[in-house]
Formats: sequence, structure tokens, C-alpha cells
Amino acid sequence: MIKIESLTFQYDGGGEPALRDISLDVEPGGFIGIIGPAGAGKTTLARAIGGMVPHHYKGDFYGSVIVDSMDTVENRMTDISRVVGTVFQDVESQIISSVVEDEMLYGLENFGIPRGEIEERLTFALRQVGIEDLRCRTIASLSGGQRQKVAIASIIALRPKVLLLDEPTGELDPGSSRMVFSLLKEMNERYGLTVIVIEQKIMLLSEFAKQLIVLNEGKIYCSGPVRQVLERAKELEGIGVNCPRVASLAISLKEAGCGEMPVCINVDEAETMVRGLLR
Amino acid sequence: MKDLFQYTAGNSVIHRMNPLTKILLAVCICAAGFISDNIFYLLFLLLLDMMIGLAAGVFKKALSILKGLLKVSIFLFILQVLFVRRGTPVFWIITDEGLMLAAKVVLRLIIACIPLALMLAVTQISDLANALVQVLHLPYKYAFTLTTSIRFIPQFMEEMGDIMEAQTARGVEFDTKNGLKKIGLVLPLCVPLLISSVRRTDATAVAAEVRGFELRTTKSGFKKYPFRLIDLAAFLICAALIAGAVLL
Ligand SMILES: Nc1ncnc2c1ncn2[C@@H]1O[C@H](COP(=O)(O)OP(=O)(O)OP(=O)(O)O)[C@@H](O)[C@H]1O
Ligand SMILES: [Mg+2]
Repeated sequence: MIKIESLTFQYDGGGEPALRDISLDVEPGGFIGIIGPAGAGKTTLARAIGGMVPHHYKGDFYGSVIVDSMDTVENRMTDISRVVGTVFQDVESQIISSVVEDEMLYGLENFGIPRGEIEERLTFALRQVGIEDLRCRTIASLSGGQRQKVAIASIIALRPKVLLLDEPTGELDPGSSRMVFSLLKEMNERYGLTVIVIEQKIMLLSEFAKQLIVLNEGKIYCSGPVRQVLERAKELEGIGVNCPRVASLAISLKEAGCGEMPVCINVDEAETMVRGLLR
Repeated sequence: MKDLFQYTAGNSVIHRMNPLTKILLAVCICAAGFISDNIFYLLFLLLLDMMIGLAAGVFKKALSILKGLLKVSIFLFILQVLFVRRGTPVFWIITDEGLMLAAKVVLRLIIACIPLALMLAVTQISDLANALVQVLHLPYKYAFTLTTSIRFIPQFMEEMGDIMEAQTARGVEFDTKNGLKKIGLVLPLCVPLLISSVRRTDATAVAAEVRGFELRTTKSGFKKYPFRLIDLAAFLICAALIAGAVLL
């Protein structure tokens, strides 16, 4: 679905390349989590997938990004965005309209979704994100978290093949964050969307994502299935990525001489493991 | 200023009019005010303004605009009264003609200001922009510029408030009575604010582009803005207002 080959990108006026020699392959139906310290290049990578880099954010671009067999350099941003729906990190600037309903309609209208389908898609997206009651509110009257949900809903309504979200839970409380991830999981499993989500809350990523990519200083530090990446929890802490405590548990136990343990990615697994040990 | 563009929700006759009709009606009232030289007709127009406010459920707003115009009105009135030398004196250097002229000027000012503000209060800017694109075929680029700039006003104010609060906490006295001093304090804050809003506008442009900005045509709107019976009635009223202004 997405194939990136030796991508290096440097913003005009930026000192160092924001991305260096990135190669990755995302299968259709994948659920990828991207994590990394501040300034690692996560947002830049998202922009490269959505075509904003290099179409809007200019700079030196080497390598290639192919999305749904479209080369992002040769195709227009508009065409790429029919496939990739992006939720930006800065919600404030993502929202175009002044009323929730208009915001939801905007993309649907532009992409020429048939009139008969619009209402159904709109209510579906609002319901999925749990903000049906906000439909007629003005954006100015919403809280940061509510605005974030509107931004997510407006992209869900477009039903793109690839959902790309840049820190979509930044303004959300823990409950709403989980809800958003469950929603992503449902879109991924039930509708087969490819989901790529940049997220700082590693607990959520390790629970919901199938694969993790760790970025550091513009490079892929490591990537692979969630468990495999979490086995390197100690190393990751070193570059400033906090790992869930359940993940470092196995490592600590091993160091304490309890033998080889599989990595746990949630509390239930950790409980089973510890019970097993105590027996 | 902050709530000048704030939409007041409702379902009144005025709300249900086509956005373009509302603007036309407002413009016609203003025009009638400038054309007419009949004090009674001007008073009637003022009354009409207030009735519209009442009908649209924004009477409070109309009153507050009136109050806002009070100072300027008094100033204009005194100026006119003192400078008009024609007519018969009624008191000291004040003449009857001066009084009349002053009253008309003030009435015109008020009549010109109220309708547009009221109509904007009962019209969603996005509806207005959509109608301009769909009915008058205004290029969408301009409509987008109009809506985004208006949409950013409350946010701009919010940010300004935040910065001022932060500065106040550090001992900057924004509540000074000295106007010049206040301008001196606020002006430097405008630079970072301007930079952040330019950056934000740029980001919004990208957000619009990835949601098909370039594909939008005059037919894209989901909501349609046909002219209905109410609009027809409003057109007739418009014509009558102008005719009245010319004839009376
Ligand atoms: N528009 C831009 N122009 C120039 N340089 C930029 C621009 N945007 C980002 N950069 C630079 O590129 C590098 C990577 O930034 P990026 O925003 O991709 O990081 P990030 O991983 O998303 O960080 P965060 O977690 O803070 O969102 C940083 O050094 C940043 O200064
Ligand atoms: Mg970022």
C-alpha cells in the first residue's frame, strides 16, 4: 500500500535533514504505530506519506514514496489525498469551518460523494467518534479534545484507504484516547483500512498496533512487530522512548535470573506470567 | 468586536431567508437612509431596523450597537448643530435648520450601521460564502479567504487574551488608563501573534488542500440556497424601501 525507498528529506532553510534514508513497506490492512522523541521526524514522515512533503513543504527530496501505486512526487496532493486521509498534529489549523456540520461536509462535498450517501456517512462518523450531540455547535465553543474528535470524524467520514493520524490523542483524556484507538482498530479490522498512527502513548500503541516503527534523529531506529520492538525496551528508554512497565518487566526478571521470558504487552499478560512464576 | 461576527442561532423569518437576501435587505435599508431626506422616513427606517432585530431575536444586540454609537452620535450632533449657520435661531447660535440637519446625519449613521451588523449576526458566514459561490458564482478562492479570516478572529482574540494574561502575571500593566501607553504595551505583542497566525493560515491551506480544495466547484455544496417565497417578499420590501426613499 505504501512503499518508501531510501527517503531523505531536508526542509529548505533547515540545518539537518529531517529524514535520513528511510525505507519501509506497509501492507494493505496494516496497523502501524510510529513513535519517537520530539523532533525525530515523525510529522515529516507523515507529511511525506500524504504528499505535503515535497508539494507544500519544499526542500531537498531524495528517494521515492509510492502510495497505492502513485509516486507522491509525480502526483498532485489532491490525488494522493483521495487515498490518504490525514489528521494533523495541530488540530486548530486543521479545522476549516466554523460549525461542526460544515467541517464534516467539507471533504465530502469536495470529493464529490453522492448526495444520498453524505448524510449517512456524516452521522456514521459522528456516532463512531461519539460526538453526535456536537453536530450543530460552533467550533469556537468546543474544547480542545472535542475539536480533536471533530477533526478525526471529518477524516473518518471520507473513508480513505489509508488513515494517517499525527498524535490524534494529544488533547484527549485517557478514556477518549482509548476510544479513538478502538475506533481505529475497528476501521482497520472491519473495513480493512490501513492505519498509520503517530503516538506518544506507548501503552496504547503496544495494545492496538500490529507493528511499531521507532524514529530517532530522522532515522528508523528499529521496526517490526510490536513484541519484537518492545523486547528492546531498555535501549528505547535510552533514546527517550518510554516503554510500558509491563514490557520492561520480562527484561528485569531475566536480569534477576528468572530465565528467558516472553515480552508482555498488557497487564493481563504480565499477570499470567507472574502467576506462572510464583507457582 | 469579538462577538460582532458571532452567530446567533434561531429559526425566525429572518434566519430562514437566503443569506444573499439578508445582505440585500441590509444594503437597501442603508441605501434608503442615504437617499431619503425626510426625517419621518428616516425615523421609520430606524424603527424598521429595531423591528428586524426584534423579529430575528437579536434585539439586545441592536440595543448594544445603538449604545455603542451613542458617543459618536452625540459628538456628530453637536458638531453639526454648531456649524450650520442657516435657518432661524432658536437658542444662542443654534438654528432650527441646524437641529434638523444634525438629527438627519445622526439617524443616517445609525441606520447605516445597524442592519448589516444584525444580518451578519443571523447569518452563518459559511452559508453566506456558499451562497455567494453557488448563486453569484464567486470564485471559491475568495469565499474561502473570507470564511477563514472570519473564522480566525475569535481564535486570534483568544490568543491575544492568553498572551496578555501571561504578561499581566509578570507585572505588565495592561489595565492602564493611558491610551498611548497601552498601545505601546500591546503593539510588540502583535508581532509574534502575526507570525503564528501566518503559520496557522498556511497549515489551514494544506488542510483544505488535502480535503479537495482544488476539486470544489459551484455545484459542490451539500446545502443548497434557493430563493423562496420569503425572499420574494423581501425583494418587494427592498424595492418599496428604495421607492419610498426616492418619492417621499
Ligand atoms: N516546516 C519546517 N521547516 C523547517 N524545518 C522543519 C519544519 N518542520 C519541521 N522541521 C524540522 O524537522 C525536524 C523534524 O521535525 P518533525 O516535526 O518531523 O518532528 P516530530 O517527530 O514530529 O516532533 P514532535 O514530537 O515534536 O511533533 C525538526 O528538527 C524540525 O525543526
Ligand atoms: Mg510532530
